[in-house]
Amino acid sequence: MRAVDYALRQAWASLKRSAGASALSVVAIALAVIVLGVLLLLTWNAQQVMAQWASAAEFSVFLRDDASSEQRGAIETALDQSGIVAGREYVSKSQALARFRREFAELASLTSGFADNPFPASVEVRLRPEAEGDGRADALVRRVAALPGVGDVRYDSEWLSTFGAGLRTVRGAGLMLAAVMALAAAVTVAAVVRIGLYARRDEIEIMELVGAPLAFIRGPFVAEGLLQGGGGAVLALILLWTGFALARGWWGSELGAMLNGLSVAFLPFRLCAVLVGGGMAVGAAGGLAAARHAGRGALTEPSGGR
Amino acid sequence: MIEAHHLSKAYSRGLYALRDLTLSVSKGEFVFLTGPSGAGKSTFLRLLLVQERATEGSLVVNGHDLTSLSRRDVQEYRRGIGFVFQDFKLIPTRTVLENITFVPEVVGVPRAQQQRRAFQVLKWVGLQHRMSAYPKDLSGGEQQRISIARALVNDPVLVLADEPTGNLDPDLSLEIMNLFREVNAGGTTVLVATHDRELIRLVGRRTVTLDQGRIVDVA
Repeated sequence: MRAVDYALRQAWASLKRSAGASALSVVAIALAVIVLGVLLLLTWNAQQVMAQWASAAEFSVFLRDDASSEQRGAIETALDQSGIVAGREYVSKSQALARFRREFAELASLTSGFADNPFPASVEVRLRPEAEGDGRADALVRRVAALPGVGDVRYDSEWLSTFGAGLRTVRGAGLMLAAVMALAAAVTVAAVVRIGLYARRDEIEIMELVGAPLAFIRGPFVAEGLLQGGGGAVLALILLWTGFALARGWWGSELGAMLNGLSVAFLPFRLCAVLVGGGMAVGAAGGLAAARHAGRGALTEPSGGR
Repeated sequence: MIEAHHLSKAYSRGLYALRDLTLSVSKGEFVFLTGPSGAGKSTFLRLLLVQERATEGSLVVNGHDLTSLSRRDVQEYRRGIGFVFQDFKLIPTRTVLENITFVPEVVGVPRAQQQRRAFQVLKWVGLQHRMSAYPKDLSGGEQQRISIARALVNDPVLVLADEPTGNLDPDLSLEIMNLFREVNAGGTTVLVATHDRELIRLVGRRTVTLDQGRIVDVA
């Protein structure tokens, strides 16, 4: 505990002494965390929206006009026995026509000239969310499509898969970019810590000569990186939150309409803590890299003769 | 306290800084190490501080065989050694008191004990009234006294000094040597490397003279 206390006190003093150089490290880490934070903000919200869409996923079984009531009964039995259907609703031909006229009012006049109602009757099925991922939904769709009386089955899982794959690609590319920026930030921290190391070479030599443990010699430099990393990450989160609040104020209603009333949210506390921890880890790694040779031998020549 | 047998330190291309040095220093003794520049005085002190290792022979200090000490054992060994350099090596960003307390602090001495011991040694060198000053505010003689106080704060069994009066005028040099004599009078072994023959004559202790890495005289 004494080593930790000593390291933190010395690191704080060093940060105050070299405020300009330390600010450079903090900004470098903040930039890396902002990139990662924006990426997480986008993908996390997209995942939430996708999960809600997926939970509301449904498919429609369109019945042939000549389908008998026994055939419809068999179809509904197959759905109920599948174990993955959360609910179903029969929509008759006349209900389908009324729905079209209600939802597409500007096109309603077109339907007045029909001699017969062209809209098929259907059974609209709502699936349990877990059935999406394990392939049981696809199997049910194939089975129902083969039943007598079924004209067509429309199941919108493909675009969800495509959206999910796109999201994974964006996340992968973003993570790579964030990793490169984190490396650059660690190098910046290491360079700044190394300046402090050089300025304190006499102190380090004395510590070596009095037999100080390595934790006392290197600890302050690791702690300095840790504090710079934590400061950078907190700064990044403040900037991210400010940007998020402004964006939601400006485009919140349009976004809500686009997402059918779903709202976007800032990163949960858990992810914020991960970002701060990550910033601290990057900073500490930079500090450790800079101080890795400190305490491994004398740094200066004694005065006097050979 | 110090037992060196056929000790040699060679660098590349067969250049010897020390050659076949055999020397014994008893516990509680005060010894001068002298000789011209390049004689090997500082190399011998570096070997005693385990800043370098001997290439041949053996060197045993206070029961520690310095030729085979592990890194952890070096730390332990150094905690019993005090050292003083020509250029003082005080930390400019710390006060006098902090320059001294940080030595026991980094070896894990409790804070109250650090302060008490630091005050004792500062009082002993007569600079307790300057404990809040920074090194830049002190004269050369005062800085060296602080450096000696720092060397003594952990109660070492052996004090090594490398040209401790090299930057001081003759009066101050004698004052510093008197401090070392007092340290020695308390039972601490003292080894001082200096090329100041007049100072050695005034203090009058056993003197080992080196030249080109060899002992050429013991008086």
